[in-house]
Amino acid sequence: MHVYIYDSFVNQKQFDGLLAQIETRLTDLGLNGKISRLGAMMNIKDTVANELRRGAKTIIAVGNDQTVNQTVNALVGSSIPLGIIPVGKKNNSIAANLGIESDLAACDIISARRIEKLDLGLANNSFFLTKAAITTKGSIIEIDKSYSIEVMEEGEINIVNLPTDEKERLPEVSFNPQDKKLELYIKTEAKKNFFKKILNQSIFTFNRLTIINKKYPLLLDGLTEVTTPAEIRVAEQKIQVIVGKNRGF
Amino acid sequence: MFNSNDGVKGKEVETIIGPSVKVKGEFNGQGDIIVEGMLEGSLTTASSLRVGEKAKITASVEARNGRISGEVVGNVKCSGYLEIMATAKISGDVEASALSVEKGATLNGKISMSGARETKSEKPAA
Repeated sequence: MHVYIYDSFVNQKQFDGLLAQIETRLTDLGLNGKISRLGAMMNIKDTVANELRRGAKTIIAVGNDQTVNQTVNALVGSSIPLGIIPVGKKNNSIAANLGIESDLAACDIISARRIEKLDLGLANNSFFLTKAAITTKGSIIEIDKSYSIEVMEEGEINIVNLPTDEKERLPEVSFNPQDKKLELYIKTEAKKNFFKKILNQSIFTFNRLTIINKKYPLLLDGLTEVTTPAEIRVAEQKIQVIVGKNRGF
Repeated sequence: MFNSNDGVKGKEVETIIGPSVKVKGEFNGQGDIIVEGMLEGSLTTASSLRVGEKAKITASVEARNGRISGEVVGNVKCSGYLEIMATAKISGDVEASALSVEKGATLNGKISMSGARETKSEKPAA
């Protein structure tokens, strides 16, 4: 049975027409299932756990990146695949990178059922699908207990599993959420002169990384804060996701 | 920016140490490495190494092929081809199977040519 988890924000009036189109398309494709609407009393973790107990065969997150992130954490280690129907123009970069370009196209992708096992990042006890980010200011990084990294300029440190920003795609480096590795991507801006700034980029591939910052937390998937020190490693093939043909890996 | 002349292939770089980054410790890699920042300790890779003009390495360095344009304080060892560019400053011993040194490079140390020479293709014996 397909279970569609509707995030609370999709209940807004502006999405009524879109949801009707999506539901019609799903019916045409023979993908009818159960709709579970989140609200004040129901969170994604409990909802997914209940539906898995009731025998759900596919869990589909209907919402945005936040919906996907929370559903991923609820499904970690399960053999039940995750589908995504992105709703809204903003905050749907995860779906885009998985080759799910639009809300209605997502229905056909679910029907095609192209399932891939993806790695996740694990920061202390929290999983992330796309990246963990922190400022360079005050951050100390130790990799594989072999070497440490110090960043001399202000910028951002990203631990990337699945890149969501086109600027994170250096042509010389491939990011792949199936390569059993995470990439440390550091970007800083140096002032060349008053008008011009240079973007400096660094990339490291690692198995295990420790990051310490006394002042700022680590942000997972742009949503969940994790205090440091944080030990980050890859969790290999921890989730199954229904992906599109035009995915970025 | 990246071409195949120095052995660092466009799509296969494993590590880039950018200009604003300092690495301390033992760095071991398998893929191509580009150093534009600072490194102290040791650096080893089974593939190619490129050291940029503004890079500073205070470490022993070992790679299959290398192209050095910056400063290295430490020994450099390449099992294949080592290119020392005009802006390079090396204070340490250098070992390679094949070596080229551009005019203007500074090299203070012993040079030894050892090991089997790597060739792209070899004609079979007649």
